[in-house]
This record gives sequence, C-alpha cells and structure tokens, in this order.
Amino acid sequence: MVLVLALGDLHIPHRAADLPPKFKSMLVPGKIQHIICTGNLCIKEVQEYLKTLCPDLHITRGEYDDETRYPETKTLTIGQFKLGLCHGHQVIPWGDLDSLAMLQRQLDVDILVTGHTHQFTAYKHEGGVVINPGSATGAFSSITYDVNPSFVLMDIDGLRVVVYVYELIDGEVKVDKIDFKKTAASTHSAH
Amino acid sequence: MSKDIAKEEAPSSSGVAPSESPTFASLRGVQWRINLGILPRSSSIDDLRRVTADSRRRYAGLRRQLLVDPHVPKNGASNPPNPVMDNPLSQNPDSTWSRFFRNAEMEKMVNQDLSRLYPEHESYFLTPGCQGMLRRILLLWCLRHPECSYRQGMHELLAPLMYVLHIDIESLSEVRKLYEDQFIEKFDGFPFEENGDAYNFDFKKFSDSLEDEIGSQGNAKKVCSLNDLDPEIQAIVLLSDAYGAEGELGIVLSEKFMEHDAYCMFDALMTGARGSVAMADFFASSPAAEFQSGLPPVIEASAALYHLLSIVDSSLHTHLVELGVEPQYFALRWLRVLFGREFSLQNLLVIWDEIFSEDNSPLNKVSKDSDYFSFKLEDSFRGGLIAAMAVSMILSLRSSLLATETATSCLQRLLKFPESINLKKLMEKAKSLQILALESNKAPFSSAFGGVYKCKKSPTNSLNVPSGLGSLKNNRSLLPDRYWEEKWRVQHKAEELRQNSLGKHPPSGKKRWVERIKFRLSRTESAPSPARNEKCKKEHHSIRRCLLEDLTKQLGLEDVAENGGCFEDSNLEDHHSVEVQGEGQNSANKGSIATIDDRCENGSGAVVSEEKSFFPDPPIPPGCSINDHEIYSEKSSPASNLSVDDNGDPRGRSPGDLPHRVSLPSDDVSHSPLHENESSGKTSSTKERRNLSGKFQWFRKYGRSNVNEETSDKHGGINEAAKPPVHDSKCSTADSSVAGTSCNSHPTGKGDTMDQNMMGTLKNLGQAMLEHIQVLESVFQQNQGQVGSLDNSSRNILVGKEQVTAITSLKELRKMSNLLSEM
Repeated sequence: MVLVLALGDLHIPHRAADLPPKFKSMLVPGKIQHIICTGNLCIKEVQEYLKTLCPDLHITRGEYDDETRYPETKTLTIGQFKLGLCHGHQVIPWGDLDSLAMLQRQLDVDILVTGHTHQFTAYKHEGGVVINPGSATGAFSSITYDVNPSFVLMDIDGLRVVVYVYELIDGEVKVDKIDFKKTAASTHSAH
Repeated sequence: MSKDIAKEEAPSSSGVAPSESPTFASLRGVQWRINLGILPRSSSIDDLRRVTADSRRRYAGLRRQLLVDPHVPKNGASNPPNPVMDNPLSQNPDSTWSRFFRNAEMEKMVNQDLSRLYPEHESYFLTPGCQGMLRRILLLWCLRHPECSYRQGMHELLAPLMYVLHIDIESLSEVRKLYEDQFIEKFDGFPFEENGDAYNFDFKKFSDSLEDEIGSQGNAKKVCSLNDLDPEIQAIVLLSDAYGAEGELGIVLSEKFMEHDAYCMFDALMTGARGSVAMADFFASSPAAEFQSGLPPVIEASAALYHLLSIVDSSLHTHLVELGVEPQYFALRWLRVLFGREFSLQNLLVIWDEIFSEDNSPLNKVSKDSDYFSFKLEDSFRGGLIAAMAVSMILSLRSSLLATETATSCLQRLLKFPESINLKKLMEKAKSLQILALESNKAPFSSAFGGVYKCKKSPTNSLNVPSGLGSLKNNRSLLPDRYWEEKWRVQHKAEELRQNSLGKHPPSGKKRWVERIKFRLSRTESAPSPARNEKCKKEHHSIRRCLLEDLTKQLGLEDVAENGGCFEDSNLEDHHSVEVQGEGQNSANKGSIATIDDRCENGSGAVVSEEKSFFPDPPIPPGCSINDHEIYSEKSSPASNLSVDDNGDPRGRSPGDLPHRVSLPSDDVSHSPLHENESSGKTSSTKERRNLSGKFQWFRKYGRSNVNEETSDKHGGINEAAKPPVHDSKCSTADSSVAGTSCNSHPTGKGDTMDQNMMGTLKNLGQAMLEHIQVLESVFQQNQGQVGSLDNSSRNILVGKEQVTAITSLKELRKMSNLLSEM
C-alpha cells in the first residue's frame, strides 16, 4: 500500500502565490511515501515545502524552473510498477497521446506522468497508463482555458493501482477514482 | 518448558467452589480463565466448552470487523465508498483510510514494545507467530477501547496470559502422549478396506487385533476406559474431545484458538469483569469520574499503598515520606504490569495465581459524599491482595531502604527488585496483610485519620483533605486540656534549642534541619496558586509572609556566619513564596487563619510593617480583642498536636525529628480538597508556618535581647525615633508608625554588607519584641476594660487564661532579651 503523490506546474511565484488552502490542509506529512513532480515549481522554496511532506521527492525540469539541474526525464520503480516522469514540453504536440505513448515506450514504463498542459488527463494505453496531474495551483496556461487546480494520488498495491484525482472546482474539492490493473502479460520480456 | 509445569505445580487455588467441579490445578490457563470470570465455575464440561466457543466466536467477529483493509469494501459491493469521503487524504476521521492510518500508528507503537518483550524467553515470545498473535490482540483491544488506547505495559500484561495458555497446550500434548488411545477417535483412522458394516465384524479378527494391541503396548498398560482415569486427566480428555459440545470450537485447550482465548483473558483482566480492580484504570492518565479523590487512579492506588504501609510499618513509611519518595515512582510500574517486571516469569505465574484466585467483586460501595475515604484499590479481595503484595515487597527491602539517605538510592533499590527473594515468605506476608488492607479501607475519616497520630503519618500529598477535616474537629475539642502542656513543651523545646545553639556551632543534625527548612522555603516558591482577591486573603498572606520572615531571620541569625549573603536572597524569595502561598490558602477556616494573623501581629509587628513597605496592603485590623478567643485556640491546636505527637512518639527528641513533628500538625489545618500539586505546595507552606510557630518562642527570645542591644547600637538613633511612637500607640497605630521607621531602617540594612544585615535583623527583632510587649499591654488594658462588658461566658473563661498566657509570654520575652544581651 504505497501512496504516491503526483503534481506539477505550480508556477510559484510567477503565476500563482501558493497552493489552494484546501489542498494544503489535505497534504499532511506522514501519509505519503513518494512525491513525483512534473516540473515548473519554480523556486527552491516549493521544493523544500514538498520535501517536508515526504523525503522521497523526484522532480523533472520544466521550462520555467529556476533549478537547472533537474533531469529531463526520470524513471523509478515502486512495487510492481515502473513509473516514468517528464515535464512534457519536450514532447510535441503538447499533450498528444500518441507522442506521449512514444515516450512511454522509450522509457519502458508502465505509468507515465507528464504535465505542461495544466489539464488533468488519464489514458489507458497499450497496457500502460498515461497520467497528467494538471496544475496544482491552477496557474495560467496559454494552451488551456479555465484551469482548475488538480493533483493526483496513486495508491499502488501489488498489481493494482488506484488513481485518486483531486480537483478544486468552484471552491470544492472533488475526488475521483480510477482503477488500473496491470496484467502480468504486459510486463515487457527482456529482448 | 512443560517440565517446569510439573515442578511449579501451582497450589490449588482457594477460590474454586464445589468439589464436583473439576479442579484444574495443573492447567493454569483454564484456572485463570475461570478466576477471571471468562469461564463459569460450573461443574459440567459442556458448559465450559459452550462458553469457550461463544467467547471465541465473539473474538473472531471482532477481528473481522476491526482489522481494516481499506481496499476491501465493508458491506460488499452494495454501496461503493464515496471517493470524496474515502480517499487516502481525506480529513474525515470516519473514513476507512483515516482509521487505517490511525491503526497503523498504533501498530507501530505496539511493534516497538513487542520487539522488546521478555528477551530472556525469546524462544517463545519472539517467534513471529506469537508476536503476530500478541500484536493482533493488543490492536483489537485498543480499537475496542479507544478511550484508553495502547499504553506501554499492556503487552507485559498480555504476555504471561499467552504463555500460560501455551503451557497448557504443551501439557495437553504430554497427556496425549501418555493416553493416546483416549484421544484418538477409534473410528476415524480405520482404513476403508473393511466392509462398511458397523456391526458385522469378525469376532476372531477382533480378538486377534486386541491381543496385538495389548502385546504392542510393551509395559502391560491396560486398555482403560475413560472413567478409570484420574479425574484431572479425564477432564483434560473431555475438554479436548473434538466431538464434544460445540465441536472443535469448544475444545477448551486448543492451539488454534489460543489467540481468542488470550484476548478474552486480557479483556477480563483489563476491564476487571465488573469487579473492582480494572487494570485499564491504571493506564488512564486522567482522573475517573467515579473516584472520590480527584486523582488519576494509579496515583490514588499508590497512595493506598502508602496508607497501608503507614499502618503496618510507620517508621519506614515516614522515612520514605521524608526523603520525598513518592509512591507512584515505583508503584506505577508495579501496578500497571501487576509486578510483571519485578519477578521472573515463573515466580510471576505463582503470584498471579494467588491474585487471580481472589474475588474481584467490590466489597463496599465507594460512595462519594460520605465521610469515608476509601481507596478503590482496596475495595475488593483482589485489590487488597495486590496492595498487600506491594507492601510486603517494600517491607522485604526494609533494611536497605532505611539505610539510604537519598531519594534516588531508595528508588534504585525499589525499582531493581532483587532476583533472589523468598517468594513463599513474600506471599505469606502479603496474605496476612491483605486482611489488614481490607479492614483499613473500611474505616471512615474519624477513625482512620482521627487519631492524630495516624493522620500525621499519612502521605501528605493526596490525603491532606481527609486528615484536615477530621483532626480539625478533634483539635477544637482538645483545646482546654492540652494547652498548658503545649506551653510547657514549647518552652522546653525552645530552651533546649537555645542551649544547643548558644556558644557552639550548631550540631550537624540541626544544620541539616536548617537546610531542610531552607529547602522547603525554596520549594514553596514553586507552587503557584491562583490569586484570590479577598481582603482576608491579603491579610493572611501578609501574615504568612511575616511568619516566614521570622524564620528566615532566625535562620539568618544562625547561619549568618556561613552565608550571610544568601540570607538576603532567601529573604526576598520568601517574600514571593509567602505571597504565593498566602494567596493559595483557602478561606474555609477563617478563624484559624485570623489567629495566625494576630499572633504574628503580637510578635512581629515590625516585620509586618516591613512587608508593608513592599506591599501597600491595608493594615491588619485591630481586631485583637475580637480574635483573642481564636488566638489561643490556634496556639493550642499546634499545642495539642505537638503534645499528642510527643505522647505517641516514644523516640528520643532529636533535632532532626523536631521539624518533622512540628510540621506534621500542619496537616491538621490544611482543610480543603486541593489538587495534588497545590496541596503539596500548601503543605510545605503550612509546614513553614508550623515551623515558625514552633520556633516562634525561640525567636522571641532573640528578639527581646535585641531590643536591649539596639539601644547601644549606632543605628539606635533611628530606633529611638521608632520606639517612642511604638510605646505610645496601640497595636494598630503602632504598625503604621513603625512602618515609616522600618522603611528607613530596612533599606539601609538591605544594600549593605553582612554586618549591616545582621544589624538590620537584630533591629527588626527588637522592634518585634517591642510590638509584642506593646500588644500584651494593650491586651491587658482591653481585658480590664472589657471584663465588665462581655456577656459571652466563653470569653469570660478565656479572659483568665489570656492573662496567664500574657504573663508567660512576657516571661519568655524577658528570657529572650537576656539571651540577646548575652550575644
């Protein structure tokens, strides 16, 4: 029962001041085991705040990040799942499923998490999952209208992952749940 | 381990009733289950099996219900959990995830404790199977009782229970080996080649097989039927019959259901099974509503221990109290784990045999508003035995405890209970004390605490309430008889001390006493109490202050050679401490406080005025006349206590003992139900007061001679100015006038060197003495004036006494003046 928090595109302090207070109250230290962040935090203080929630923090570089030393892509293994992380501005067209699937195959991961579009999406694709957690602060985006703050919490348990989506719509936190099961056959055999 | 059972055969417990019920002397698990109330004390095996099965079913249900897996929906798929409610980050405390996280935290705590459980028996306790069982039991119990969630020590209560069950299983397997044929169901193992008819068997074949069986036995053991067996073995067989009542679930000694049984035992032990002693209380940190005293139950139980100890062995008790060894420092562990940490596992099993065999039903109802104060611990046989056990343990360490001089070494000895003790003796002593414990618990206030002797031996912290109420009434009644005795004794004591201190440096005992007083003085500072704004309070605290100042001045006189510097500091801090104490004083018995008022006024008006320079309080009302009655009653109350003190205490009067005895009557006057902290602070303050009152005479002697000395002093000029106004006016006005002069005099004494401090104190003493004389004169004047006008008969009686006491105090003044002049 591993809880993984996926979020990104906060754009603090340029486009947003802080996380919405309702989100902040929910994110308490001690519950979450890993945090994966797609990028565009943008400043060090945000990284420090995320570190207080959970010491295991993975960040990839977004185009507005101050810290230049974040990697472009990252892969990690949690339980039975392989996760891939990338900001997404490198994958053109932005937000296109097929291109993202290409990246997923390249990284050889089961779950790919990307951002940049500031819009939550979750696709099941070719035995894997592509998740976009959206923008946790609801920051402005030139490619998306009406950005709602959102983030994703994944509950990885054996061969099953439950994705909880938290969105702040009209001042209320709405939660949605999506179940993914990894079939044993989908693990790529060694070439 | 099973061999140990054979050796450590528990004495068959006393509680099992009728003779036809099977006694399970060798099966501790079953016996304890009966004693704890899980299994009925009935005679039939079937009943036992049924009850066992029921309790196991309950546990299984509980387990399913409470061990939460958030992935598994609770009620099938009927209502899928609402994601808004049931997500992992949900703030909602009812969501399955929140419960899951809470349980995870508790589990972490439990794991920590379990990993350190009984390392010396790790072959059993640290096996993962056992650990898993213990963990689940503890978690479930704590989930069931969320008000007292898991506390450290619960695992130690559970572990022996589990162990006992395990031993039972082992003994069962031993018995199985011996009586195999009884256990094996004959028809179960038959091969199926035989033709299926039950009745159609070949007689010849049967007899052959029988012979074979007999032959193969080896040592001519006959095939015996069940009824020929030893009743114990018989019982064991019946209990383990897989086909008996309730089938497999009813097998009373079953390894499969060890967890269930252990849970039931643990639950019964903790909740007390509707009895009086519930272990869960000892883990609670807040006072329970139904307890009489406002204390957490474990503190109260520790007080019960000390109470019993005081009855049994008062010298040890006083020794411990003097050293400041509070009972809960060691008793907490003893009680919470029922002596689990003090004895080895085998010894512990024997002790628990005894404890559990006692009945746990409450004996008297612990009622709230009677005059009784009874401890809940001693309210049942079992509780009484627990208390007696603890006291006998303390007694076994008696000699080493009496030899120690510091609290820490005492505690060390108590906490590291020696391994090699004669358990039998301990248990016998405990049994004998148990009766005493139960008896003493029944007594109401007046008899338990009314004997002043007893009251002063009781622990001063939490039992101030009862002692105060009871003995205060006694004091009033004892007034006339004891008064003269006290007067004589006080004088005698004062003279003795005077002789001790004059000319030689004080003996070490006295010095120690002095240090103790100082220690207590500094301790009074540490007990802040809510301020009260009544006028009488301010008067009271001014009195308190001046009394403490008396003492400090006296101390200053003694120790000024050693630490004149710190005198000033202690003087100052006493101002604060006295104020604090004064404010905390309850006004329930205003009379007695007012008397201190007057007495202080009598003796140390200068000191009072001195404090006025710091705190502009209204002057003490010139109510001397009104309060005369109380003056003397107040004086007599410590008097009566002191006298009874001396009567009851045949030991020699060493200076070290003196402060203790003098301070004990202070218990009498403390009279309101205070919180423990407050009362401890207050008792120390009242101790101060009593010390002061006891030393007051002595002080006055010093003060008197100071007066004479002052005239020759170079500061005498100021005093000369002070004196005439003092002489001219009455007590109340004298206060205010002296206030002015002392304002002048005191600052000079303050900022200067040690000598000047000494001068200042002597000056103040002299002024005090003058005040004393002044007041006495005024008293006489008033008496003469009021004899005719008084209607109250009691006043008339006391007028005569007043005169006499005034005369005696004058004599004392003269003596003191002589002393001072000698200095």
